[in-house]
Amino acid sequence: MTTLFSSLSDFIHYEFLIYALLGSLLLSITCGIISPLLIARKNAFIGSAISHSTLLGLSIALSLFQAQQNLYIFLFTLTITLLCTLFLARSTFKEHLPTDSMIGIFYTSTMALGILIHSLFAKNKGDLLNFLFGNILLLNPEDMLLSLALLVLTIFIIFIPFYKWLYLTFDEEGAITSGINAKLYHYFFFILLTLIIVTSIKLAGTILIETFLLIPGFFSLKFAKNIKQTFIYSILFSSIFAFIGLIIANAYGLPSGATLAVVQFSALLLSILLKIVYDLTLRGNHEIS
Amino acid sequence: MTKLKAPILRSNNICYSYDNSNEIILKDISFQLFAGESLGILGPNGGGKSTLMKLIAGLLTPTAGELYYEHKLFTKDSKFPYSLLAYVPQSSELNTILPVNVFEFLKIAAKSQILKNIESRINELLILVNMSHKKSSLLNQLSGGEKQRVLIARALLHSPKLILLDEPMKGLDSSGQDQLQAILKDIQSAHQTAIVMVDHNITQLIKSCDKILCLNKTSHWHNNKELLTKNILEDIYHCEFEHLLIHEKESIPNHTFCNHDHKENNQHKHTFIMRKK
Repeated sequence: MTTLFSSLSDFIHYEFLIYALLGSLLLSITCGIISPLLIARKNAFIGSAISHSTLLGLSIALSLFQAQQNLYIFLFTLTITLLCTLFLARSTFKEHLPTDSMIGIFYTSTMALGILIHSLFAKNKGDLLNFLFGNILLLNPEDMLLSLALLVLTIFIIFIPFYKWLYLTFDEEGAITSGINAKLYHYFFFILLTLIIVTSIKLAGTILIETFLLIPGFFSLKFAKNIKQTFIYSILFSSIFAFIGLIIANAYGLPSGATLAVVQFSALLLSILLKIVYDLTLRGNHEIS
Repeated sequence: MTKLKAPILRSNNICYSYDNSNEIILKDISFQLFAGESLGILGPNGGGKSTLMKLIAGLLTPTAGELYYEHKLFTKDSKFPYSLLAYVPQSSELNTILPVNVFEFLKIAAKSQILKNIESRINELLILVNMSHKKSSLLNQLSGGEKQRVLIARALLHSPKLILLDEPMKGLDSSGQDQLQAILKDIQSAHQTAIVMVDHNITQLIKSCDKILCLNKTSHWHNNKELLTKNILEDIYHCEFEHLLIHEKESIPNHTFCNHDHKENNQHKHTFIMRKK
């Protein structure tokens, strides 16, 4: 416990930890906003496909730039991943073949191509493993600004046409016949997801980002009773456990991305167990009375 | 001279086939529907019923032929008349992962269409579809029939002139079907709303619709239901019906039989159909 308290005080004394804390909070709020929609729209696997395809962009970027040229690497990775995403969005909108097969082909192929390019042209410019699992302690002021801009953009894209997103989620064909441009929203969703994933590489890496995109939404959909609660629960869960995860990671010198993911998963598991116990107790009380 | 009223919907020889496929899904389908009328679309699985419904709803575009909405031709370049119609999907297609109650669900639909006086309109519609007692219930806790009635209420939010229903009776028991039919009749008579309905329940559809369109890809028959015979149905379905409750007529005056592969055939000899024995 003492270690945890001293870890908390570290966040006041060390600048890089403040960046890590603020950056992870901003990104976790963004993930918390999009997470329930991602699950309800049955796009969870698409998030996985996009996150794996970032490896292709990263490998090409690392082949062209020095590992220290953060901004160039970010922008190049973003551009390549966006191009891949647009192809994926086009291939998954109202296709006759099952979309999951296309997603499966897409993410394994782009990932494989990324590994090949890295091994051929960028082996000496950094290990891909760092990008697979992330390191939040590498967040700098630019990353924080980027995360803040992304949060504002997410709020703008999701909450201004909020009712349209919901209508499309409930019944896409009904929404189209009421005049909503489903294709435009489909593309918007994919692009936003790509921006979130590429920006979050430092937070959680290309593999663990799925945890941040799925667990908060899964938790909120399990416990919320209405739409408002769903989004509030998701945002709170995501940010609270990102904070706790970061404190634990710093206190025990653990890898930040993996710690945050395990903390979120443990919290989900615990909450589900508590709900089962609560439901059983409630049923028992009813039977007695 | 009396001015003829324009049909709400007129289909003129519309055809449809999927991209990169030679298979014809629909060929030269023609019919028209006036205000207050109802059209039932019958046919076997894969006969093109849902495709036709999606063409009318603007979810697909015909590969040939014309669709007129209130006398206005709809083309690829023209704006689709979304406010004229409402599409009601099968209740099983409704995604209920997000927790939402009936009232909130209707409010979301109304707000996304930027409608006014939302709350009073929703309450009025919930009374019409007999769901006002369930307005606080979560959508995922409703039965199939209840969801269907909520979807009908949603379709009526913007007072459309034409409602398209895709298998509304699916999964409903007979009392549920009767209840839904009564609601649809009320809507039809109160606002002169035209209704197009696809269903597999032949008896129920014939009972409730004014006009029938029997459809099996390239063959179709369309006219008032009084002119529909068991023979026509058997020809369209490629099988014999033993216990079908429809009024059988000896002769079929002025009916339109559209079998494009066998136009030379006598209208009463449907020799092109293989009968299952």
